[in-house]
Amino acid sequence: MRWISLAALFLLVFVLRTASQNTPKNGGDFAGSPPANLPPGSKVPKNVILIKGAWSSASDSTTPVPDGGRVEDGFFRDDYFRISYPVPRGLTETYQGPPPSESGRYVLAQLGVPDTFKGENPGHILVTADDLFFTPFPVKDVLQLTAYEKDNLQTDYKIELPPTQTKIAGQPFTFYAYWSPAAELHWYVLSTEIRCHALEFVMTSRNTKILQNWVIEMSNMSLPVETTLTGNATAGDFPVCIKDYADGENVLNRVDPVFSEHRFNPVPVRIIIDKTGTIKHVHFLSAFPDQEKAITEAFKQWKFKPYVIAGKPVEVETGIMFGRAAHPLQPAVNTAVE
Amino acid sequence: MVRIARLTAVLLLALLFLAGIAVSQTDPGVQSASRGTGAALSTVQSDDHPGILAFFNDGLARFQVVETVASGLGPRFNMNSCSSCHAQPAVGGSGAATNPEFAAISNGTVSGSTNTVPTFLTATGPTVEARFPYYFNSNGTVNFNSPNGGVEDLFTVSGLSGASSCSLQQPSFATAQQEGNVIFRIPTPTFGAGLLENLDDSTLLANQATNLKNHFGVSGAFNHNGNDGTIARFGWKAQNKSLHIFSGEAYNVEMGISNLLFTQDRPLPGEDGGGGSGQTGLVSGCLNLTGNGYPEDSSNPGQTSAPAVLDDVSAFANFMRGLAPPPTGGVILNGQAVSQTSLNNGSSQFSSIGCATCHNPTVGTTQASNFTGSLNKASVPAYSDLEIHHMGSGLADNVSQGGAGGDQFRTAPLWGLGQRIFLLHDGRTTSLITAIEDHGGHGSEASTVKSNYDALSTSNKQDLLNFLRSL
Repeated sequence: MRWISLAALFLLVFVLRTASQNTPKNGGDFAGSPPANLPPGSKVPKNVILIKGAWSSASDSTTPVPDGGRVEDGFFRDDYFRISYPVPRGLTETYQGPPPSESGRYVLAQLGVPDTFKGENPGHILVTADDLFFTPFPVKDVLQLTAYEKDNLQTDYKIELPPTQTKIAGQPFTFYAYWSPAAELHWYVLSTEIRCHALEFVMTSRNTKILQNWVIEMSNMSLPVETTLTGNATAGDFPVCIKDYADGENVLNRVDPVFSEHRFNPVPVRIIIDKTGTIKHVHFLSAFPDQEKAITEAFKQWKFKPYVIAGKPVEVETGIMFGRAAHPLQPAVNTAVE
Repeated sequence: MVRIARLTAVLLLALLFLAGIAVSQTDPGVQSASRGTGAALSTVQSDDHPGILAFFNDGLARFQVVETVASGLGPRFNMNSCSSCHAQPAVGGSGAATNPEFAAISNGTVSGSTNTVPTFLTATGPTVEARFPYYFNSNGTVNFNSPNGGVEDLFTVSGLSGASSCSLQQPSFATAQQEGNVIFRIPTPTFGAGLLENLDDSTLLANQATNLKNHFGVSGAFNHNGNDGTIARFGWKAQNKSLHIFSGEAYNVEMGISNLLFTQDRPLPGEDGGGGSGQTGLVSGCLNLTGNGYPEDSSNPGQTSAPAVLDDVSAFANFMRGLAPPPTGGVILNGQAVSQTSLNNGSSQFSSIGCATCHNPTVGTTQASNFTGSLNKASVPAYSDLEIHHMGSGLADNVSQGGAGGDQFRTAPLWGLGQRIFLLHDGRTTSLITAIEDHGGHGSEASTVKSNYDALSTSNKQDLLNFLRSL
């Protein structure tokens, strides 16, 4: 019985590899939606987070950010990653995710059945992104991340399909699967890399046929040409993403922010540097307002050496960690991806 | 004919009821059999550091002392004894089935001529403290530009013996309720607290990094002590660093007793000028009601026996530090003992669907301890990572404490859950199933884990619930 299931999974990988690629679509602008300013005399609304701690924000509301995705018209769309993913029939966005974490993790979408659903629960899909600039895992790209995850699976789980390279909508993905014999739940994990983020589609169900259908339906999604497994793509029109670009001789002028309050949280920040070496966009993944203000003021004085490819300056995207850095982990044991 | 139709309807209803039993899961409820919760750590009981048992017992006794105005109670307070609120299932625990706050006037704890019992308190509801997320404007509307979040003590000593001319009004709870500007917190149990206190930060940081590797969308952060930057860990938002701070703050805030850590009588958030009230503190007629000066609780160097030298806050901390973790125990469901197989399977469910990512059953090993052997290099089965997590808009209380925002809460340690009555930070439910479902919500890190729970078979869900009530 088990080999039949395994064979089906490998067949699924083959089907995906031969599936056609949809045309990438560009989305609109991300518009941040800070908490509404309540008019005088209002009551305190229920079920609204009004008092925030460290939170995400951006220097402008027009440049897409990873956490600007939304589910509408049966699609999950994220303009930052330029992905458009058709939500499988019967599923809907159950809950919006939490803000990005201080370790660079985004919950982009949670798709499932509503709480009012009656009948056999089909399962659910979690879409996440891990910023590879800030992840505490000792990995450089999504291939290594997948191998690291697989090697460190807790003992409750059994591997059904080892990490295997495949294609979704014509773009490279890794695919692996595991299950919990106790919970009778299966997890199918499909990962790829865009803009130095590891994107993961985590599908969970008790029914493997449902999972296989969901995987096949992924062929209808659209992805940018920059999609990769090793972070080496530069052919598209995204800014080139380079880890630690804000270190060393690339920075011609650097002024450290002066924080008014002594805090102890990590403050991961992504920036886009324009072709002249000036910071044109700042995305705070997790920062208190006073930290955001101090860093913004300091950034006004930063100047970078323009990054040049084939004799032409290009935009660069990089990450900087202010405050307390995340706790690093030991390097992973390398595991081959088939 | 009518009788036959009625009979058929009754039979159908009975069938539906039975079918309901077969296809849904049940919270076994509070386990009433004694598990020995509330005992001292084994090495405290054996007095491995001679005298430590005496310190523990002294702390236990002081934890139950009923304070009066003469001993420093008030001028504002929630209750007059630690054990009034920390009572279930033993001294040191959480709120009891019968709420002592509701009976504050009838049993003479406060004066009925100067105090009323807020309407949110009920005889069998949770024992709570109240906080206003925002200050009020002078016209009674909510000032959304002025976050508050401090504890609004329920009662005053006005009218009690020894209160003299101290005349204080209770906060306007009716207005706060009407404006939706009040939230509640229930007492956190303190069993095993010494083990949590003695976990080194490096252990917690390593756990955090390891547990980030999950497919549940869970991340997490720590609340840090503002003085030295180390990880704070006590209280619903992990806002308190140590058991001394936890005790000192509670003595001051919940009972109104100044002490070596918090050396003044505490005014309400608005009475100290906060929110633009224009006030400068408690009125002089309500200060130094003992006549002995401040702090009302301090160490007693004039005493001869060692425990008596201590201030109450240190004694409380010693007691909690010496409390053993709550033992696990068997579970009764619908009058029948649950099998070990069910509990074992429930434990596997707990881990497989991701509950254990935050409710970590093995937080780690404590650092070396010079307090007592049981705290030395000991494992800590607390079912918590001591991190703060975004729990979303449904659970948010819009109170910020330290680095924790309005929707961030410390992972509640689940040890002792089998005998807990009120669940979640505000005691909003007594149902384990509701508590699990409430983990899902917009902005919550636990939504996917809740979806995993929803995807389990009915029997696996039942085993999970059984397991949780064994803790």
